[in-house]
Amino acid sequence: MIKEGKFGTAEAVYLITLAIASKTFYTSIRVMIKKTGTAAWYMTLMSCLVSIIFFLLISLVMKRFPGKNLVEIFEIVTGRFFGKILALMFSAYYVYYAGSSLREFLEMIKAYNLPYTPPSLIIFAFMTVVVILAYIGLEGIARMATVSFYPIFIGLAIILFLAFPYYNVRAIFPIGGYGITETLKSGFFRSSAYDEVIILAFIINSINGVKTFKKVGVYSIVISGVALIFTCLCVIMAFDYTMASENVSDLFQLARIIYFSRFFQRIESIFLFIWIIASLIAVGLAFYVSISIFCKAFKISNHRPLILQFAFLTYMVSLLPEGLIELAKKNIVVMREYSMILIYGIPILVLFISVIFGKKGDRQCLKSVK
Amino acid sequence: MSKKKGLLKSFFSCITYKEKKHKKKFYIPEIDNEDATEDNNGQDKDTRIMKRGSLKNRRIKRPVPVSESNKENKPEYKKADDEKISTNIEENIKYIEDKFNFPINKDIVIRELTVAKKYKAFIAYMDGMVDRITINNFILRALMVNDEKFDEESNDKCKLDFILSNILQTNQAKKVDNPDEFMYEILSGNTLLYVDGCDFYISNETKGFDKRGVDKPLIEGVVLGSQEAFNENLRTNVTLIRKLIKNNNLTTEFIKVGNVNKQLCAVMSINGITNPAIVEEVKRRIKGIKSDMVLGDGLLEQFIEDNPYSIVPTVLSTERPDRAASHILEGKVAILVEGAPFAKIVPVTLPSLIHSPEDSYMRWPYGTLIRLIRFAAAFIATLLPGIYVAITSFHQEMIPTELLIAIAKAKENVPFPTIVEVILMELSFELIREAGIRIPGIIGNTLGIIGALILGQAAVQANIVSPVLIIIVSVTGLGNFALPNYSLALAARVSRFCFILLGTLLGFYGISIGIALFAILVTNIKSFGVPFFAPIAPKTKESSDLFFKKPAWQQIYRPDYLNTLKQKRQAKISRQWTEEEPKYSYERDEEDD
Repeated sequence: MIKEGKFGTAEAVYLITLAIASKTFYTSIRVMIKKTGTAAWYMTLMSCLVSIIFFLLISLVMKRFPGKNLVEIFEIVTGRFFGKILALMFSAYYVYYAGSSLREFLEMIKAYNLPYTPPSLIIFAFMTVVVILAYIGLEGIARMATVSFYPIFIGLAIILFLAFPYYNVRAIFPIGGYGITETLKSGFFRSSAYDEVIILAFIINSINGVKTFKKVGVYSIVISGVALIFTCLCVIMAFDYTMASENVSDLFQLARIIYFSRFFQRIESIFLFIWIIASLIAVGLAFYVSISIFCKAFKISNHRPLILQFAFLTYMVSLLPEGLIELAKKNIVVMREYSMILIYGIPILVLFISVIFGKKGDRQCLKSVK
Repeated sequence: MSKKKGLLKSFFSCITYKEKKHKKKFYIPEIDNEDATEDNNGQDKDTRIMKRGSLKNRRIKRPVPVSESNKENKPEYKKADDEKISTNIEENIKYIEDKFNFPINKDIVIRELTVAKKYKAFIAYMDGMVDRITINNFILRALMVNDEKFDEESNDKCKLDFILSNILQTNQAKKVDNPDEFMYEILSGNTLLYVDGCDFYISNETKGFDKRGVDKPLIEGVVLGSQEAFNENLRTNVTLIRKLIKNNNLTTEFIKVGNVNKQLCAVMSINGITNPAIVEEVKRRIKGIKSDMVLGDGLLEQFIEDNPYSIVPTVLSTERPDRAASHILEGKVAILVEGAPFAKIVPVTLPSLIHSPEDSYMRWPYGTLIRLIRFAAAFIATLLPGIYVAITSFHQEMIPTELLIAIAKAKENVPFPTIVEVILMELSFELIREAGIRIPGIIGNTLGIIGALILGQAAVQANIVSPVLIIIVSVTGLGNFALPNYSLALAARVSRFCFILLGTLLGFYGISIGIALFAILVTNIKSFGVPFFAPIAPKTKESSDLFFKKPAWQQIYRPDYLNTLKQKRQAKISRQWTEEEPKYSYERDEEDD
C-alpha cells in the first residue's frame, strides 16, 4: 500500500482550506455574482451549508468502515471491478481538475501579468513545482500548506481591508439578487466549489481517523466559506454587482485599485505571491490525489514512477480548451457547478448500498485502526 | 676553422633527426591489491610508507605492492606483535620503533633507563606533544630516585604494578595492554612506561602541546552576554561547557573518527533530559563514518547530516560555550571535535538558526524586535535583488510613480539591461567579500577603498550601474551580514542568484515559483529526525521562543519536537517570590508602600 505519512489536524485543515479557498483568486467570484447578483455572498453561505451536510453524510460512510479509505470502501461495497471503476472516475476527475485549474491560472497570469511570456514556459515552471510537490508526497504538500497558510490568508485580509475606501454598503442592496429560487438553485449546485473536501476521504489514513476527518472537513469548509463570503461581499461593495460580474478576477481588480497615497498604491504584488502559491498547492494536491487514488485502486506501493505520466495527462487536459471563454464555459462550470453530482453523489450512493446490503467494516478494519 | 665547423655542426644538428635522450622519470608505484592490505589490522594499514626500491629493483617490471614490500622489510619478532605485548624489553622497543618508523621519524622519543638501579625500563613519548616538566619531575625523577621504596617487600608479580601504585606521581596513569590503544596514547601526548618482564604498559597523562587560550568570539560576537569562545583544544571546550552546566548528569562520550587521523569527538548531552534516541543516533552516525580523514567539525558535519544535498545547513555550528550549553539544556546534543573551535548542535530547526545567542540575554521586547529585524534581513538577503530585477523588467506599474521616475532617470545613461547590472554588482560584491576574508590584515584598508570608491562611486559615474542598484546591493549585503548563522548566510547568498535568474525569466511569477520550491525543499528536510521547519510545519505545541520571544519566566516548556524526557524546564510559577509575602526583618508601616 502507498505510504503517505501522517500529519496533524491543523495541517490537514490548512491543506484542504487552501485547496478550496484558492478559488477566490479566480473567476469564481465573478460567476457567482453574475448568477445571483447581490445575493452572491449569502448564496455561497448556503453552498457552504449544503456542503457540510453532504460531507457529514459521507463521514457516515467513513464511520461504517473505520480505517479504510474511500477507494477501499468502494471495493468492499461494490466489488472489485466496480470499485476500481469508481476510483478511476475520481482519479480522472482530479486530473481534469488539475489540468483545468492550471489552464485557468495560465490564462489569468497571461492576461494580467505576463502577456509576452510564452505559455509553455509558464506551464513548465508551474508543472515543475507541482511534480516536485507530488514527488515529495502528501506530507510535504501538507507542510507546504502549513507554511503558506498564514501568509496567504493575511495577504487576502490585507487586500480586503485596504480596499475599504471603495466600499459602498448600499451596493449590496437589493439584497435579494435575482430572486430566491435562483439563489437557492445556485447555492445548491455551487456546493461543488467546496467538494475538494472529499480529498480527505482518500487520505484518511494520514489523519487520525474518522473523528479528525469530520473535524477537519467541517473546519475547512467553514474557514474557506468565510473567506469566500467576505471576498464576495467586499467585491460587490467595491464594484457593484454589474461591474463585478465583468471582471475576470475580482480580487485582482480589488488589489489593483487600492490607493492610499501616491506612494502606497497598486499592491498587486501581494496578490501575485499569495495567488501563485495558493494555486500551486491546490493544483499540486489535486495532481497528487489523482495519482494516489490510482495507486490505491491498483495496489501500487510507490507513486513516484507514475508522476511523469500523470503530468503528461494533466498537461494534455490543460491544452483542451481553446481559450479562456471555452475554459470558463465548460471546464470551470463542470468543476464548480456540477462536480458535486459525482463527488458527493458516488460516496452517498455507496453509503446507501452499504446500508441496504448491510455491509460494514469488519474486525480487521477496526484492528487496522488500532 | 674550428669556429666554422662548430657553426656547420649546429646548423646540421637543426635539420637532422636525433634519438631522444632517455630521461629517468619519477613515478608513483601503484597499489593493486588493496583488499589484501585491508585485512592487516592496526596502524599498518593506515600509515604505509612507500619504500622506494633501489636501482636494482627497477628491473622488476610489476611494481611490488607496498604492503608486501613492507612485509619483506619487517624485522621478525618472536613475541611482540599487533595482538600481544612481549615480556621482553628489547622486542617492545623494536616494535615501537618499527611502528613509528623510528630512524626516519624523529618525533618518537624512546628513553631507556634503569629503575632503582635494578630493572630495565623505557619511556616512550612524542616529542612536542608532551609536557617535559611533568616527565622530568614526576616520572623520571620518581623512578630513578626512589631506591629505598623498591627495597620494601612487595608481592606484586610485575614491578609495573608496584610502580603504578607507589612511585609514579602523575595525576592520571593507567594500564594499557592493547597495542592499538598504547599507540593512540603516545599519539595523543601521553607517556608510556614499560618495565622489563611485564606484559603491559602504563600510560601517564603528560599532554603538553601548545594551544590557544580562551578568546573572545570572532564570529558570534554579542553586546550582552558571555565573551568566551571555544578554542581548538577539545578538553578546554568540554570544560567550558561543563563550567556552565554544573550537573552530574551532563555526559561526555568520546568517539574516535577517521582511520588515519583518529580524530577525537566528544558527544555531550544531559542524561535524563535529552531523548536517548538522539544521542544513540548521533553516536551511530559518527561511529559509522568509514573514512581515512575526518579533519575538523566541518567535515564531520558533512558526514553525519541528514540531507547532504540540501541548500540550508541542518547542523548548527556555534563557537560560544554559552550557546552550546543552552542548547544542551534544551535537550539537544553537542558534538565537539578536536582541533575545531566550534560545537555542532543537533537536531536544529530553521528558527533556531535565525536566533542569535544574544536574544536570550535581552528582555523580551528588545529580543523580539531584533529577531523580527533578522527575519526581515533573511528575506532581503535572499529576495531583494531578484525582486528588483522582476519589478524593473516586468512589473513597472507596481512601483509608485515618483520612485519609478527616479529609477528610470538613474538608469537613463546605463547601457546595460538590469540583469547585467545586477549580476555585475552582485559578483563584484561577492568578490569584495571573498577577498576581504582572504586579504592579510595589514592591507585590509585598501579593500575598503577599492570597494567604496571603485564599485560605489566610479561605477556610477562611468554609467556602468545605476545608483539605485548600488543601494539595493548594499542593503542586500547588510541583510546577509545580519544573519547570525554563517552557513545560513551562505545559503541565502546562493539562493539569491537563483532568485535573480527566476526574476529575470518570469518576473514575480518566477520568484513566487522559486519561493514555493524553496519552501517545499526546506520544509521537507530533517535534522536528526526533527523536521527542519518544526514548530511551524509540522505544527507542534506552542513555542514560546519562535518569532516572538516571550519573557524568560513564561518559557515553561522545552521545545516539543525534541521529545525530551523532561518537558518542563521551569515551574509554572517560576517567580515564586511574586506569590509569597515578603518577610521583613524590620517594622513596616502601611504608608511605606
